[in-house]
Amino acid sequence: MIQTIDISSYSAITDAIRSEARRILSDSTVSAVIGYTAGRRVGTTQPIVITTADEADKLLFSAGCLNDLVVYLTKAKKDVPKSGRIGIVVKGCDLKALVGLLGESQLKRENLYLIGIPCSGVLGSLLKPSAELTSETIASKCCECTDQLPLGCDFIPAVTPAPLPDLEKRYATEIARLEAMTPSERWEFWKEQFSKCIKCYACRQVCPFCFCEQCLCDRNRPQMVEQTPRPSGNTAWHLVRAMHLAGRCAGCGECERVCPMDIPLNLLNRKMAKELKELFNSEAGFEVRDTGPLTSYREDDDQSFIR
Amino acid sequence: MHVDKQKHTFEPKIIAFVCTWCTYAGADLAGTSRMQYPSNVRVLKFPCTGRIDPVFILKAFQQGADGILVSGCHPGDCHYIAGNYHARRRFAAFRKLLEFIGVDLNRIQFSWVSAAEGGKWVEVVTDLTEKVRAMGPMVEFKDLVLEEQWSGGLNNPELQAVYEAM
Repeated sequence: MIQTIDISSYSAITDAIRSEARRILSDSTVSAVIGYTAGRRVGTTQPIVITTADEADKLLFSAGCLNDLVVYLTKAKKDVPKSGRIGIVVKGCDLKALVGLLGESQLKRENLYLIGIPCSGVLGSLLKPSAELTSETIASKCCECTDQLPLGCDFIPAVTPAPLPDLEKRYATEIARLEAMTPSERWEFWKEQFSKCIKCYACRQVCPFCFCEQCLCDRNRPQMVEQTPRPSGNTAWHLVRAMHLAGRCAGCGECERVCPMDIPLNLLNRKMAKELKELFNSEAGFEVRDTGPLTSYREDDDQSFIR
Repeated sequence: MHVDKQKHTFEPKIIAFVCTWCTYAGADLAGTSRMQYPSNVRVLKFPCTGRIDPVFILKAFQQGADGILVSGCHPGDCHYIAGNYHARRRFAAFRKLLEFIGVDLNRIQFSWVSAAEGGKWVEVVTDLTEKVRAMGPMVEFKDLVLEEQWSGGLNNPELQAVYEAM
């Protein structure tokens, strides 16, 4: 049964973002605000950086606001002015990525002005941008969302997000389906998925955590990961990617959204998140942590797999 | 003391990533004590288990390894204080990833072997070799390397028809 999701609060949120952006830009609290603006097709949105109060009316929030804007704050993206404080519009999932970057000393909290969104969910894709937000069209990450209301922001519109209906947890279902398979069935599944990869690295470009100035996978002396888009290098790339994001990934799901070949990339990330939660009781949240699960240890960690 | 060498149809390649301070010294002790262990194992020496990147394991599989051994100092004995604690967490996560991808975890062994445990080294290597021998060659990653199919390959009839019409 298809359920409609209540997003009536989004117009009030849009108004609140606009007036707040106008205020912080005109009293020079921030030098720029990163937010969403209308895209060329009706219903789509695109990221925008505004620097004057007059532009504040360009901002909006709708079910088409899929991007994780936090990626524009990382050092991999140099287009956003780094002088002064920067305002940014964040959904709950985006804020978890931002908090992760704070924990990794990539950002300073005092240089940011966070405008949180009480989010009721966004579309899974903008292929049909004017589609209604329903239990079918909602993004997979939103089906498992527990953080509709971001915490610790400087400004949050005074709107209570409508609680999401009980949606099918797509990632959990798919992970359980794969786990029930035999290893060779799983290998076949992933082999087919990875063979689709064209090594466009869109997943890397869009990931807030892929901020290395030189990626291990771009090095060729020694070459650790084959760079041509062939099955062997593709598999290695996706495994290395999953491993480097393990314990850091905030689950914004951008990798999966931008993948032109529709490889279920977030499935690997969600699986690793699940395992790390089970192994080390650690998961991404709104609290800044100095160390992640794989950059810290306990002397009594499980070592039953070690002889 | 010469043990008669048994002929096998399949000799697995085992790659052992070891830490220089404990397991390498342990393997050395096994050698100087003239203990016998399978010559299937190729030892790669690292400063610490903390230096062993999971990507090395992938690379070894791609280049023909049938089994992998990762071995270092016992917890608390790390020359660099905590390298093996970090490695323990990293490999706990990495083996879950490999399992999810569909790699048989019986091909990967982790162990703590100290500089005094030449006997344990022999035991670990012998057991892993026999286990992997029984499992047969690891073909998954090697097949991927040999596969000439590019992602943009003409692997569907529609594209093939367009190509032939050109």
